[in-house]
Amino acid sequence: MINKNIFKKTLSAAAVVAGLSAIQVAEAANWLMLQGTERPGAAGRAKVWGFIQAQYQNDSSDPNPGGAYIPPKLIGPNLSSQEQFNVNRARLGVRGIGMPLDSSVNYFLLAEFGNNGITAPGGDGDVQVSDASITVNTSATRVRMGLFKTPGMEEGLQAIHVFDYINFTTVGNQLMLERLPNRGAASNTPPATLPNPSGINGFERPVGAFRDTGIQFFDSIKVGKWDHSYAVMVGNGNGLNFGDVDDNKDTYFYWSSELQYGGKGPRAEGLKLFAWNQSGKRQLDTGSGPVEYDRKRQGVGIKYLKKPHRVTFEHVSGEGMIFVGPHAPTFDMNPAAPPGNGEEGEASGYYLDYGFYVPNSKWQIDFRYDFYNRLTDDTFETEWKTTTIGFNYHVNKKSRITVNYSTRDVTAVNFAEGAGPNANLDGIGDRVAAQFTHIF
Amino acid sequence: MKKILGIVAALGMLLASNAQAGEFADEKIVLQISDPNPFKQTLVLNVAGNVLKHYGQDKVDIEIVAFGPGLRLLFAENANKGRIKSLTSSGVKFSACKNTIRNMGKKLGHPPALNAAATEVGAGVVRIVDLMNKGYKLIKP
Repeated sequence: MINKNIFKKTLSAAAVVAGLSAIQVAEAANWLMLQGTERPGAAGRAKVWGFIQAQYQNDSSDPNPGGAYIPPKLIGPNLSSQEQFNVNRARLGVRGIGMPLDSSVNYFLLAEFGNNGITAPGGDGDVQVSDASITVNTSATRVRMGLFKTPGMEEGLQAIHVFDYINFTTVGNQLMLERLPNRGAASNTPPATLPNPSGINGFERPVGAFRDTGIQFFDSIKVGKWDHSYAVMVGNGNGLNFGDVDDNKDTYFYWSSELQYGGKGPRAEGLKLFAWNQSGKRQLDTGSGPVEYDRKRQGVGIKYLKKPHRVTFEHVSGEGMIFVGPHAPTFDMNPAAPPGNGEEGEASGYYLDYGFYVPNSKWQIDFRYDFYNRLTDDTFETEWKTTTIGFNYHVNKKSRITVNYSTRDVTAVNFAEGAGPNANLDGIGDRVAAQFTHIF
Repeated sequence: MKKILGIVAALGMLLASNAQAGEFADEKIVLQISDPNPFKQTLVLNVAGNVLKHYGQDKVDIEIVAFGPGLRLLFAENANKGRIKSLTSSGVKFSACKNTIRNMGKKLGHPPALNAAATEVGAGVVRIVDLMNKGYKLIKP
């Protein structure tokens, strides 16, 4: 009898194992897997890789009546000019499986040498580690710990070196690319005149870069032609900084289901549906001691890629810690500093992207419209509408030239033209950008 | 009658074993994979596929012999297992070096789980020499 029970249990266990084995693990068909795993049995001990993006941008915005500029009228991250060449990204990294015989553990290390919000401001141009993580792969789930991209907005989660545009959408840039508030209170920074604008770029720390330090449980399960992926993460909620500044932890939830058409890697073709949620708290000291504010973000979207067509739509909304800097620069979100109160504000936005890959050629044409409503139902509610047209010329699989032209329409909806915030927002003009990308 | 049947059966088995060894194929090729570079895994599978396409499945015998770091190609979890399955169904054989399996087992604490398509052979290099003596041409991509 005992032997029978043991036999039954053994059979059950075997059936479970067989069932797990029957579920095929998807091969790098999504960002979670591409960035957090290596190809089992086929990855090296240390693959050195990276990419360089060099660009030129020109902003044709007009200053306010006083001759001063706000950040959206200047070229970042330095915000000291309306026209500049820049090496905005120069990343060098290494990834692989430390012990190639055992694919159960892999790592990912990447550093930023370029000039952008990761290294300046905050880093003052220093090299900054952007990713440093270890993944342990088990039969039940995969566990990734360290600093890495958080499960969230498609635009932020995707690999930047295969991003089809040069600049982020406004909702991506302002709502999701987190500017961590400075630790102490600071007064609002007024618009600045050129040359040598002072104080307009005063962040103490790098942008969040869609990253956090924490632990993530994730996996990808292939069922027929569908690839289902999930991620649950807990992190410090402190961007690229390794440590934490408070006891609060951010939580991240992500789900995607993709009907795979073919290919693999970052340009795999498919129809992907996804949804995500991020929640945490931020401490802000406005002069009377630290106060905690909620920071909530959520989004849903769909991405279709089957050459020659690509269509992406994503809607994002958020509550709390709404960055209000780019219209009258403020980086501490001080409630006492007019205009607007981002700490408890709300915002939402979306983007619609269409790409056409010209058959039998190296050309790709891109069109994107993005909308962002900042401080919804607030006196200082502002609408940002941006239309971008552009193209990519793929010199080869690792090199491309991207050219974008963007028109922008920004209005504080509760103020007349030239009044209140519109005194600064009026005159935000078109922007042209060209960028070379080379991956190695 | 029994004797005749026995002779026929013996002849049949002999012919079958010769056919298995690729006796009647126009070309016989052994591919060596012993390199730690993952790119070589893709390369050796590509070469096998291209050779098959060129000569046709019935006119070429291909055996891939994996030893040393190259044995990872035949790990059960290997990312190329789909391609290995496809090549196996087209008649490509895969041989795994027992010496390497034993040495890797010492490092891992257990023998590596191998692809079901892999046939264990005493020593990868000896298997290659044996095949070359039978007329196989050695290609090391």
